[in-house]
Amino acid sequence: MKQICLVCQNVDCKSRGSEALMKELEKKVTDKGLADVEVRPYMCFGACQEGPNIVLYPEKSWYAGVKMEDVNDILDHLAGGPDVKRLDRIDPSLKELIYQLLDTGVF
Amino acid sequence: MEGILFPRGVVESREHLNNYRRRGGYQALPKIKNLSPQKIIAEVEAAGLRGRGGAGFPTGKKWLLTAQNEERPHYVVLNGGEDEPGSKKDRLLMENLPHLVIEGVILTSYAVGATNAYLYINQQYGAAIQSMTDALSEAKDAGYCGEHILGTDFSLEIFLTSAPPNYVAGEDTAALEVIEGKQPLPRQKPPFPATAGLFGKPTAVNNVETLANVPPIVANGHQWYRSFGTAESPGTMIFSLDEEVNRPGIYELPFGTPLRFLIEQCGGEVKNNKAIKAIQPGGPSSAFLLPDKIDLSLDHDSVRAAGSSIGCGVIHLVMEGTCMVEEALRIAEFFAAECCGQCPACRMETNVLATMLKKAQQGQGGQPLLEQFGKVISFNKGKGFCNLINMPAPPIESALSLFRSDFECHLANGRCPTH
Repeated sequence: MKQICLVCQNVDCKSRGSEALMKELEKKVTDKGLADVEVRPYMCFGACQEGPNIVLYPEKSWYAGVKMEDVNDILDHLAGGPDVKRLDRIDPSLKELIYQLLDTGVF
Repeated sequence: MEGILFPRGVVESREHLNNYRRRGGYQALPKIKNLSPQKIIAEVEAAGLRGRGGAGFPTGKKWLLTAQNEERPHYVVLNGGEDEPGSKKDRLLMENLPHLVIEGVILTSYAVGATNAYLYINQQYGAAIQSMTDALSEAKDAGYCGEHILGTDFSLEIFLTSAPPNYVAGEDTAALEVIEGKQPLPRQKPPFPATAGLFGKPTAVNNVETLANVPPIVANGHQWYRSFGTAESPGTMIFSLDEEVNRPGIYELPFGTPLRFLIEQCGGEVKNNKAIKAIQPGGPSSAFLLPDKIDLSLDHDSVRAAGSSIGCGVIHLVMEGTCMVEEALRIAEFFAAECCGQCPACRMETNVLATMLKKAQQGQGGQPLLEQFGKVISFNKGKGFCNLINMPAPPIESALSLFRSDFECHLANGRCPTH
């Protein structure tokens, strides 16, 4: 199934380097030939103080406080590897809100 | 009907100094020779004057917070940003009754102990800027402002600053930023302007219509003022009616006037005798009401009790045959476009709500989508520096609850119930 890797591009995440993260993810997804993965910007997940935030959908994994050194582990996950548990720290109620929005097609 | 600001009905041309004086203008100002600033504040408090910019905060209370602050200097800012869609009342006051507004600014400055005042006027209001500039010069020549006003120890310099035309530029702290030469971005509150306003000093920021009420209060006293309006909303308010009525325009009416009177007697009924589907009584951030509220009393408490707000008196009528999904989408897109972008939560909320309504309009998302609106709104409530983050909620939530079938029709068929 196609996975969408949504990278927040709101002010706080951007100020913490989310633009460079998105570019790096796009490049490495191409390099690795992950045809079923699409990297896309997202307006905001509402967890600005925890950014940069990345959500994998429809799988529903949320990675917060992502740094450049985390990119390879996220790519491994996208290629079928294990979750990056150390980046999974968002409050479940916020996750539910955002996942429900994504489920209703709000991209 | 007799008004306070427009005693002989709304005037359409600029009132010159002599005309203003002939009808009693600048007769409140000489009272500063005998009345202390505290007495002026007490009079305005007793009159029950409430801000006309939207929030309805008691003006005397705002002034007292500024006046009592020991930091010096104090400032007064006349907020003529007027960026509310459909509102033209402040423009009209500045264009046609500039001396009334200026006398209000001078009295306010005396009351709060300010020696400098700024007229912050929407840059698109060329005629208002000209009119206020000319009137200011006349007032200076007549000794109403400048050094030792009317021979007293009170001196006041008045400056004019043009305001950017975007929505948040009319927010009181964004106005302070612009006057300081910065971008129109709201500040985090507290501190409020009364504590740390312009250049970090105590500042009274008041709407144009609010300050236009001050000379009549000081000249005639609070009891006279309270003979207009209701106990909780004394005085009059300028209401704006849009193009849905035969005589659109602005009308000064006592608070407590029934909405029906405004629409039927002032506005000359709805065009083509169409039926009203919804009423938005206080600008785009106010909740929609059903047409059975046509006899609602136009005052702060009654409109709040009905589930909406009176805002700055811009009344929008939605006609039968209009789709409320489209109405809600139009409002959501307005706030998404006007969000200044500095508060991430506000950017998220305004953008997400507009996107969600777009989905609903296109018939996507189904019932679960409708259930997300309340969640997104409550998640973001109060998380911005200014109130814009809270503004899309009342119209969207009221449209959803009062006109659910319009939304369901869109979700089921991907089109308006009205098409």
